[in-house]
Amino acid sequence: MKRRDFLKFSSAAMAGTALGGLGLVSWSPRSYAATINKTFYITEGMITQPDGVDVYFRGFSSSQGSLNVPGEQMIVQEGDTVNITIINTLNSSHSFAIDGISDSSVNSGRIRGGNRATVSFRADNTGSYLYYDARNAPYNRLVGLHGGIAVMPNGISDELYPGSPTFNNPLGQYFWVFNDIDPVWHNAIGNGQTPTTRYVPRYFTMNGLSGRPPGAPGAMVATVDSMADPRSKLDGHLGDRTLIRCLNAGKAQHAVHTHGNHMEWLSKNGNNLADVWEKDIVPLDANGGSVDIIFPFAPPPDAWPRVTNNTLRQAESEGRHFTFPMHLHDEMTQTAGGGLYMFGALTDIYYHSS
Amino acid sequence: MGRRRRSSTTTTQTDPSPTTTTTSSMGDGGMGGGGGGGMMGAACYVYPVRPAEVPALDTPDIVYNRGIDMNIPMTMDDGTVVNMWGFSDTGGGGGGMGGGGMGNATFPSAAIRVTQGQIVHTQLNVGMMMFHTIHHHGIEPEYRSDGVGHISWDVQGNYTYQWRPMHAGTYFYHCHTNTVLHAEMGMYGALIVDPPEGPGTAFEGGPTYDVEAIWAVDEIDSSWHNLDWAAGTCGGDVGLNELNPDYFVITGVDGAQSALTAPGVAVTMNRGQRLLVRYICAGYLPQQIRFGGLNAEIIASDGRPLPNSVNVTKIDAVSAERYDCIIQTSQRGTYTVEVDIKDWITGDVLGTARTRITVN
Repeated sequence: MKRRDFLKFSSAAMAGTALGGLGLVSWSPRSYAATINKTFYITEGMITQPDGVDVYFRGFSSSQGSLNVPGEQMIVQEGDTVNITIINTLNSSHSFAIDGISDSSVNSGRIRGGNRATVSFRADNTGSYLYYDARNAPYNRLVGLHGGIAVMPNGISDELYPGSPTFNNPLGQYFWVFNDIDPVWHNAIGNGQTPTTRYVPRYFTMNGLSGRPPGAPGAMVATVDSMADPRSKLDGHLGDRTLIRCLNAGKAQHAVHTHGNHMEWLSKNGNNLADVWEKDIVPLDANGGSVDIIFPFAPPPDAWPRVTNNTLRQAESEGRHFTFPMHLHDEMTQTAGGGLYMFGALTDIYYHSS
Repeated sequence: MGRRRRSSTTTTQTDPSPTTTTTSSMGDGGMGGGGGGGMMGAACYVYPVRPAEVPALDTPDIVYNRGIDMNIPMTMDDGTVVNMWGFSDTGGGGGGMGGGGMGNATFPSAAIRVTQGQIVHTQLNVGMMMFHTIHHHGIEPEYRSDGVGHISWDVQGNYTYQWRPMHAGTYFYHCHTNTVLHAEMGMYGALIVDPPEGPGTAFEGGPTYDVEAIWAVDEIDSSWHNLDWAAGTCGGDVGLNELNPDYFVITGVDGAQSALTAPGVAVTMNRGQRLLVRYICAGYLPQQIRFGGLNAEIIASDGRPLPNSVNVTKIDAVSAERYDCIIQTSQRGTYTVEVDIKDWITGDVLGTARTRITVN
């Protein structure tokens, strides 16, 4: 089949559109159930990877002229009625599905090319979920048709579930949506074919971006570098506690690793854990796996001298950043195109003085 | 150009690494797109020490010295010799520095064992043709002692990491420069923090043990083992996205046969004794460890006690997780411990490493 010409999106354009509509800022706790309406456009295009290779993607995008991979983050509240309209701008058939978010099934069924459909459901169950295209699984999900949605407990601003360990405030929560990318598969799907080769991921992203180490083109550019992307990098003061909803759209199992402090591990694959373990590695299952964790901005426990607010002030006065990385410890994920260590799925954790 | 700016901090730490002309972080001009990944001395995105930012050091309670050894031949059970890299113990027991980063390292590297609350110095000595770091995994020190190149710096010459462990348990240390390659090449060793009670107690106020085993289970892809230390850092496909292991080892011993009986890996204990297994998932791929039908009580993970211990006969783990388990039985016997190493995508078992617990 002749390869079609696809609109090319730079990573900057891709993330820029996503950043325009952070779900986090649109939600605040309330004592009543609301009706939430959202429209996604299924679009396609090429996204340039860190080694300069263009790869085909599809996305649940915010407009007909954009390509959002992953789709925009959403937070709703327990009991809300959610109406999601999907406008399929492509020729291929797609769908929209979320597993477990409602007591009833959430799946649009087939949305033919050029058609639209609205999925309506009640958000019955608190937690973190991947929304995704369930058709032609897993191909449409892998190629970019996925995103994160969370259900907050009714009227609660700082708990994952009623009675859970608390995080800072409604804005003290993040999504880390991971994906792994085999460009051979992506480009086959873009050409209307079913991949026939063994799956070999060559690029690794969190929230659609990969890292750019200092000195690399795009380093510290929020729409290019996952270490600078405000959807991914963590900023906090001593005493802050940040909830992170990790979702894995890819096919590879991962080991989420924070430096600086252990994480508090709250849930796995939608199940709240009976005991909260403190871990520096949390396993994240493939194919829609999820974990919820809290990163406490406590003084790094093994630092000598002890870290205090004055330590952070001193660093800032000297122009130093008090920073630690988060990266996946299955270290193949830290590469791009078979090399380029630090151009994979990682971000940074910034401590700031009060 | 770097994300971390220089400062004018006064330092008492001596002999900071100089910047070289052959290895430095690449400028803003672009990535080059290929070549150089396997060439000696060609490296990109490594970050020499910025002397003005190096912190002052306190007086340590204990010092470990580590050099670099990139020629550690390991003979596998099938007779194949695979070259490993590691950290040499250059202290010689007297705290002196090694010579230019060369040394007689083992795979895995010699363990670091300290007591909770001690101020520890890990002095790293790297030769002038390369960069490395030491990251004390699970230990959470100040960022300049964390050993992460892009956050602080990579080391060429001498550098001292200062830390004070506050939680007893099982950790490991590894290189964090071009980590995907260096850790796979074997640049790691166990790191044990004993509680104030000393060895024989798992953590402060925690369970006691009579016998101890440190099982660092790892997979090796021998096709990676001819690469240069900086392979891939400047671009070009050197295959670091794809790990196809052909050997599976337990604490540096081939798990095909040798680990079944190797001293220091295989365990011999008496009925009623309490064995503490410090299991480290030292590879990159998912693992499942089974204890030969014995019951294991997980008491801690990643250097932290569990709120409630968990009784298991097997554990699924991912890269760099650690599990501390107490095993105690009144039954004589020989129990074969098996660790499956699984494909990170398909979950297929790629290989199994085995050792034994013999109970007399």
